[in-house]
Amino acid sequence: MAKAKENKALHQKIGSGIWKFFSSLKLTITVLILLAFVSIIGTVVEQNQPLENYLMAYGEGWTKFIVYAKINNMYYTWWYNGLILTLCLNIIVCTFERFPTKWKSLLKHKPSKFDATTIERFSNKRTVKLNAGFEETREHVEKLLKKSRYKTLKFKSEKDEDFIYGWRGVIGRFGSDITHVSLLLILFGAIIGGFYGYKDFKVVYTGDTIRVPDVDYHLRLDKFWMEYYDTGQIKQYNSLLTVVEDGKDVLTKQIWVNEPLDYKGVRFYQSTWGNAWNRVKSANIAMIGKDSEELYSVTDIEWQVLTPIPNTEYNVKLIGFAADFAYDEASNQVFSKSAEPENPAIQIEVYRGERLISSPWIFVNYPGIFPAIPDSDEDIVFGGYMGVLYSGLSLNKDPGVNIVWLGCSIMITGFFLTFFIYHRRLWVHVRKVEGGTEVSLGGLINKSNFVFEREIENIAKKLQGDNKK
Amino acid sequence: MILSLVFFTFSFIFYLITALVYIANWFVKKKWLGQIATTMAFVTLFSTTMVLIMRAGESGHAPFSNLFESMVLFVWAVNIGYLLMEYRYKFKSLGAVIMLLEFLAMLSASMLPYRFKSVEPLNPALQNKWHFMVNFLEKFGLEKYAIGWLDFHVFCTFIGYAAFAISFGLAITYLVKNKYEVKGKTNYLLDRFPDSKMLDELSYIAIAWGFPFLTLGIVTGAIWANEAWGRPWSWDPKETWSAITWLIYASYLHARVTRGWRGRRAAWLAVLGFLAIIFLYWGVSFILPGLHAYA
Ligand code: HEM
Repeated sequence: MAKAKENKALHQKIGSGIWKFFSSLKLTITVLILLAFVSIIGTVVEQNQPLENYLMAYGEGWTKFIVYAKINNMYYTWWYNGLILTLCLNIIVCTFERFPTKWKSLLKHKPSKFDATTIERFSNKRTVKLNAGFEETREHVEKLLKKSRYKTLKFKSEKDEDFIYGWRGVIGRFGSDITHVSLLLILFGAIIGGFYGYKDFKVVYTGDTIRVPDVDYHLRLDKFWMEYYDTGQIKQYNSLLTVVEDGKDVLTKQIWVNEPLDYKGVRFYQSTWGNAWNRVKSANIAMIGKDSEELYSVTDIEWQVLTPIPNTEYNVKLIGFAADFAYDEASNQVFSKSAEPENPAIQIEVYRGERLISSPWIFVNYPGIFPAIPDSDEDIVFGGYMGVLYSGLSLNKDPGVNIVWLGCSIMITGFFLTFFIYHRRLWVHVRKVEGGTEVSLGGLINKSNFVFEREIENIAKKLQGDNKK
Repeated sequence: MILSLVFFTFSFIFYLITALVYIANWFVKKKWLGQIATTMAFVTLFSTTMVLIMRAGESGHAPFSNLFESMVLFVWAVNIGYLLMEYRYKFKSLGAVIMLLEFLAMLSASMLPYRFKSVEPLNPALQNKWHFMVNFLEKFGLEKYAIGWLDFHVFCTFIGYAAFAISFGLAITYLVKNKYEVKGKTNYLLDRFPDSKMLDELSYIAIAWGFPFLTLGIVTGAIWANEAWGRPWSWDPKETWSAITWLIYASYLHARVTRGWRGRRAAWLAVLGFLAIIFLYWGVSFILPGLHAYA
């Protein structure tokens, strides 16, 4: 035997070493506590902040370390997930090591030996002496055990002596295994979700249709609106969404925060809202003479609609908006520096009759800075606008989430079995003695000794109490 | 006049009285004192229940949507838990410890700034209701009282916290009593507590109740987050801390069951677990940044 061990190949030795490492129950507690401890770090060091924030809070040296160890995105690092993986391997190996023996011993738990001395060895025991006859008492004991939901087995029956074995709650012993498997299932679901799912965010305007990744349908926002409390606080925001499949509307649903739309494995959540920074509903413009302050031909123009300016030869079309106007010279592009209306500007196309003559940006704050109509005594000014709200929709495909929920329910079931169903085994010896019958009972419980003590006490009391009547 | 605050004031005073009567009963064990103590515990429970009911009426939603309301829910749950324990195990002396904790919890709730105590309408993310319940209650025009995952989440979490608070009280009692026992000293006050093996066992039982409820709380929280934010878990500090406490109690259970930790070491872990709960509950709200509105 010893020889055989020595001859084991190196890879076998390493293999069994690893196996031993992962079958250790000390490892379990170590990893659980270690995980708890390192998780704290990620709540103290704020996650996924811009680099400047770390520099400001921790200085250069620490920031280098934070970035090196990826503490700024800790829960997704290899070392954090390595700890979780260790936990999983630990569970798997321990289950393989312990479960088969446990299963067998629990199925074949019936005692192989049971005699008059067996009960004496238990710490939970009672002996009572009754006046009743042997037969009567024996039946009484069995009835009482049945009533306390014990399964019973007559171990040995002799003329003046009976050995009864009772048990209850074996299934409670499997609670911890069920819990462990459920934990693996939850992590499995999370991994599936991570690999095959996606998250996306879209800014959507009323009337827009958006493409949804990976599926064969589109989504249209029919309406977006807010609700307020009397105090002016926001109560809720809602989007009316329509699913468009092959050009046909197939489903319309109102969603709000807490009420997503679920369609073919993708969920659409109302996640934010806001004032659009790059479009408006309508703008208010007017004509003005070069040397006068007088406005005339005041009119509202709708987004993207060619509109005549009354009493003039001009038609205009509103084609652009920037809430906080900025210009990027390199790319020759206009953009909005922020979503706040710091410097609102619109872009219009100006037509003389049918002919496009210019497409200037004009500003609320700086009227006349760029003439809207070239070579003319007249100019167009921008007076104000009606903004539009956008609906911020999150798209989420998570094929693992149902596995996670399944795992969670199994876990709760496992806890129920573990914590509320105790495995009890009871040995009862009924024996004819002078002037009556003696009953000794004692046994084992897997936890909560106190409960068991009381149960034995109760059974004993019932035997005596009922007998007195 | 906000009736819930009137009842809160009553409950506050009642908890003080209850704690004092239990302590008196602990010092001079008298049957009638014990009876008064238990009666007071019931009166206080009633009064605390009224705070919650009034609050629900005033705000039109489940009465645990801010830190103050959740504190009331917490003391309410501890009170019920304690009474169940007293009924089942018949140890009135422990009431001195638990009711003192209750009073301290009420004290800290009462010291919260007023903005936590006023009735606030729910922000959009907190309006989470079960459809079937809304549909059912609509028949009676009561749909605004429907609850959802969020309420269930808070409720379960607080049952868990309450159980852990009780286990904490028991663990502390154990540690003090055990210290005397180890030195071979006796003290008539400590003798009135159950023997330390029993305290150890009870502390475990309390955790065995708390752990499934905390888990259920975390799971239902994830279900709600999945509906409101589109993802079940986002590692925000509150979530992470709930996982931390969960891990601590999981290690407690394993240390106990697989390594045979009993007594002092187990008691210290139970204390550590509850300190983590306190941080999860108050510390995270006030110190760490995150998405959770409160508790
Ligand atoms: C590192 C991986 C883990 C290993 C190797 C492990 C192993 C074990 C073992 C061997 C037992 C004793 C089983 C018995 O005697 O019936 C046990 C009990 C238990 N485990 Fe784990 N476990 C692990 C992680 C977890 C985690 C993360 C949880 C989370 C909830 C958990 C929950 C439980 C529960 C509830 C019990 C029963 C405790 C009791 O009876 O009071 N385990 N575990």
